[in-house]
Amino acid sequence: MEDEEFRAAVREWLAANLSGEFAALIGKGGPGREHEFVAGRLAWERRLGEGGWIGLGWPVRDGGRGLPWSQQVIFYEEYARAGAPGRVGHIGEQLLGPTLLMFGTPEQKARFLPGIRSGTQMWCQGYSEPGAGSDLAAAATRAELRDGAWHLNGQKIWTSLAHVADWCFVLARTDSEAERHRGLSYLLVPMNQPGVEIRPIVQITGTSEFNEVFFDDARADADAIVGAPGDGWRVAMGTLGVERGVSTLGQQLGFQREFESVLAQARGNGNIGDPDIAARIADAWIGLQVMRITAQSSLGAPAGTAPGTEASIAKLLWAPWHQRLGELAVDVAGASATQTGPDYDLSDAQRLFLHTRADTIYGGSSEIQRNIIAERGLGLPRG
Amino acid sequence: MYETDSPEQAALREAVRDFCRRHADGADRVDQAAWAARPAWKRLTGELGLTGLAIDERRGGMGAGFAEVAVAAEELGRVLLPVPYLSTALAGAVLSEGDPEAAAGLLPGLASGALTAAFVFTGDITVAGGRLSGTAGNVLDGGEAAVFLVRAEGQLYAVRAADATVTAAGTLDQTRSQATVTFRDSPALATGADGDRAEELMRVLLAAESVAAAEHCLDVTIAHLKSRQQFGRPIGSFQALKHRCADLAVEVFSARATARAAVAAAAFGQGDLGVLAPLAKRYCVDVFWHVAAEMIQLHGGIGFTWEHEAHRYLKRAKTSQLLLGSPGQLRRLVAHRAGLY
Repeated sequence: MEDEEFRAAVREWLAANLSGEFAALIGKGGPGREHEFVAGRLAWERRLGEGGWIGLGWPVRDGGRGLPWSQQVIFYEEYARAGAPGRVGHIGEQLLGPTLLMFGTPEQKARFLPGIRSGTQMWCQGYSEPGAGSDLAAAATRAELRDGAWHLNGQKIWTSLAHVADWCFVLARTDSEAERHRGLSYLLVPMNQPGVEIRPIVQITGTSEFNEVFFDDARADADAIVGAPGDGWRVAMGTLGVERGVSTLGQQLGFQREFESVLAQARGNGNIGDPDIAARIADAWIGLQVMRITAQSSLGAPAGTAPGTEASIAKLLWAPWHQRLGELAVDVAGASATQTGPDYDLSDAQRLFLHTRADTIYGGSSEIQRNIIAERGLGLPRG
Repeated sequence: MYETDSPEQAALREAVRDFCRRHADGADRVDQAAWAARPAWKRLTGELGLTGLAIDERRGGMGAGFAEVAVAAEELGRVLLPVPYLSTALAGAVLSEGDPEAAAGLLPGLASGALTAAFVFTGDITVAGGRLSGTAGNVLDGGEAAVFLVRAEGQLYAVRAADATVTAAGTLDQTRSQATVTFRDSPALATGADGDRAEELMRVLLAAESVAAAEHCLDVTIAHLKSRQQFGRPIGSFQALKHRCADLAVEVFSARATARAAVAAAAFGQGDLGVLAPLAKRYCVDVFWHVAAEMIQLHGGIGFTWEHEAHRYLKRAKTSQLLLGSPGQLRRLVAHRAGLY
């Protein structure tokens, strides 16, 4: 199918399906609002799956559609343009799926990929722990293979969407004797079982998107391990280098929408006449163009041109930019941004301002990204 | 969309790099009296044909285009080769785009390098009866120019240097000359070429060469941090310095993409040149400036000496930043053209 034909098909499908029960989801559930309309968005995932819109770039032999990146970009563009709701299934589609495609056995692929593709199986990521944030290899959650099953004990934290997830991919220590990177394994753990307890974390926004997850003798099947025991670090890191440009471009359409809303407010309340605000608006727009151009230039880059650093470069561009947009949003709003609605109900500007403080922390803090670029990209010596 | 050089562009880039490595004649500043006699300029024009890249073969050029001019500008800018390349090559490109018949007397000379050009985009220039009057300062490459291409009433007029009063200025960046040029009823040739477009293309070239220069500054700085030992270890192992280099690498990577996008807009009409040219010039030169300033700091005392090359990059960066639109002016221009306000 030609690109423009594909675009028309995506647009038509979204228009036809973002109606009826799903019309209420338009514009909902984006960053900072992941707590909204969860049940509706889970139903929307199933609708996406029925439409064949999940796993667009996965190989055909693994049940995907094998679409070129140009059409994946088109899908994200049209998805954002239509204001379709924030995804719930993206952790399965964009993190676990590619991991299984790279490292999974044929049985694991057959067991899990169809559920992800049909939008019926939700995933969460069990990496961070209270004692293992930036130093992820310090993960202390233990897993022992006993009586034909893995038994997990320990605690994960900052687990997005744990309360709706059916499964969690967990980095757990299976060999306490081994060198710390080599003692970790990558396990697939069902969430609906007595040994798993989820506690929401109330964030600075007053809402909860992240959770703590406690494993108290939780079980996983003996064969629910990706790679060999002790391979967990390699498997977890392997998917960090996966091409993210496509989803980055989709994310930037969300940024564009947020920018336009800040611009509209500045025009509406006259603050665009403040030279400082005007300069910051122009800088934000320029930054948005630079990010878009940079993401496009990375698309389709031959693997290994800058191993592992392009994702870090992208994050160091977008996270601080997004944070500055949040600061600009409340500064544009002015004094009104100092008051909330009842029950700490926040405006879009206030939510953006507060939520973007997380951008430079999660998914590898800015400091960790700089280490990665300096050591792997520039070849500077480890300290 | 991953952009990289075509095989021809890669060959051109390598040829220019090779030239810069082997045949640059050691001059580290423009020498207004002797530039034309210098072997570097003769080889660069005569043998490599770089000033004629965008000129049709029938007029003595290479028959390539603006994208190739940008490749050459990058590589010459990477080493700050003190030759009046930018203006002369750009003159070949824009005059070829305009009315080649009107410019027929100029193109072969530009292609061979016998004729050097400079652009006048500012000043109080007036046109009356095919003659120009007025004064313009800060004319880049103006010290060596044999012909001035002056924007007046939208188009470019060509005036021979012999018909103008040219006062070369001392320059902060000694690798690129400037002059104050005064026209008094100077005979001028209407070239039919678009003066506003020429200014945007010059901004694109400044963006492109700035990225290459910034890459060089970062490369040299990283090499220094790996070899310089203090406290018994390479200083590049200190996180305070590593993080600054990582930030510079992010800036250079994104500036590289931005400059390429601007070149594509200029050469192939991909995207809005009116927005991308000032945007790229502002972003890429600011990045260059930041990298050059950090280069000095991260080299410590040696970076403050005349002997070390760092100061020449700092001065080029600041000069490029202040000409063809300051950062503040370009920000307003971009905002205006993008319809923000």
